[in-house]
Amino acid sequence: MAGIDVAVTGLGLVTPAGIGTAASWAAVRAGRPTAALDPALEGNPVRISCRVPDWDPGQLLGGRRAHRLDRFTQFALVAAREAIADAGLDPQTWDGARVGVVLGCADGGPGTVEAQHRVLVEESPSRVSPLLLPMQLPNMLAGQTAIEFGATGPNLVVATACASGATAIGTARDLLLLDRCDVVVAGGSEAMITPLVMAGFAQMGALSRREDDPATASRPFDLDRDGFVAGEGAGVLILERAADARARGARIRARIAGYGATADAHHMTSPHPQGLGVERAVRTALADAGAGVGDVQHVNAHGTATPLNDLAEARMLRRTLTGDPLVTSTKGVTGHLLGAAGAIEAVFTVLSIEQQLVPPTANLHTLDPEVEIKVATEETGTRIELALSTSLGFGGQNAVLAVAAP
Amino acid sequence: MFETLKEILVSKLKVSPEQVTPEATKEDVELDSLAVVELSLVLEKELGVEISDDELLDAETIGDMARLIEERSARV
Repeated sequence: MAGIDVAVTGLGLVTPAGIGTAASWAAVRAGRPTAALDPALEGNPVRISCRVPDWDPGQLLGGRRAHRLDRFTQFALVAAREAIADAGLDPQTWDGARVGVVLGCADGGPGTVEAQHRVLVEESPSRVSPLLLPMQLPNMLAGQTAIEFGATGPNLVVATACASGATAIGTARDLLLLDRCDVVVAGGSEAMITPLVMAGFAQMGALSRREDDPATASRPFDLDRDGFVAGEGAGVLILERAADARARGARIRARIAGYGATADAHHMTSPHPQGLGVERAVRTALADAGAGVGDVQHVNAHGTATPLNDLAEARMLRRTLTGDPLVTSTKGVTGHLLGAAGAIEAVFTVLSIEQQLVPPTANLHTLDPEVEIKVATEETGTRIELALSTSLGFGGQNAVLAVAAP
Repeated sequence: MFETLKEILVSKLKVSPEQVTPEATKEDVELDSLAVVELSLVLEKELGVEISDDELLDAETIGDMARLIEERSARV
């Protein structure tokens, strides 16, 4: 497989920072946090979330289509449509059999499950919607994307919790290297801000409880961080072999130069305290990219703002990378998009390389003294040839993408 | 009854109003087997009329469906 480059030719985003890549990136560059008190979580122990603003699926997808899709699938279709158009591809004319779809999510459609569970309990089992399963099954993310765009090649959804989006992109790259298809619609989507799911996260002690000042609740690497803020949305990238992309005259925005995937085999939710699993994923991704530990100029970190994650990740980066890369966590703006996080952060990493800048870590006021890495607190122009995007999931799953300039 | 059925199709199943005519077939308004089950549940809940999805599937057009609902509700 040596010598085969995988190019990113299209980007699409739906995030709490906006619908579309331009709106989302503008908020990330400005370090504008999106966390707020969520009326849908009234009565929950933690009511802070990052919601996609002004979401009108009927207007974006048509009322009939939107009615039969859970929110997580709606997000993915809108992001995929943007990415496909950005790549200059036309689903009306492409050879669909050579187009794959690999998307990730942590949880499928819990909003639909909870709504139908209420029908089951409050009305009757015979009132439960026939759309319950076709809406909530996680694999519908890729299945519905295939239907929407006539993509009939390899089609799957991967689940590695909060690493799902990155795992999907790495897996999509593998499919291209194996010549299983010519184009992959890759990324992740998540819509799991529901009362039940958020109660579960709160019981784990995973969420920030900064309800008196919700905008500052997601504060990666800050001394006063106290947990993550859940976000929702989708990130989609169009991947092709670089030679194919060049042959059709496509704009190559960056390359997915390497991928590393490992498991901690340590604990069901806590990352390994020294980040040993994610360190191996970083080393694997760099070796895959033919790069060394001193060649990385920028890291878009997982940086969830939980006390444990940020410390383990910072220790790992400090220990592993020698080039003193400039690190950011865009979760200060977007919150934690869970199974979509790795995908939206891969998009931000591509944009960082393209524009040679590192966006700030919003809400980072006092760097935790144990975090001995260089973290951007303001937008910083800098040369970036090679960047990493790191993702860690509950269950100890790690996925690291090495993203390189074209 | 056609207008009632049309209102249900538009407000509950989000079918475009311009698609719903008495002559329109289930395919014309994109009512697959899942949507027909959904419609059967809504008819029971909103109108108190019990019509199985199989019976609804036998109706060729929206007009036929409306007549079936009318007959059945007259019997209630």
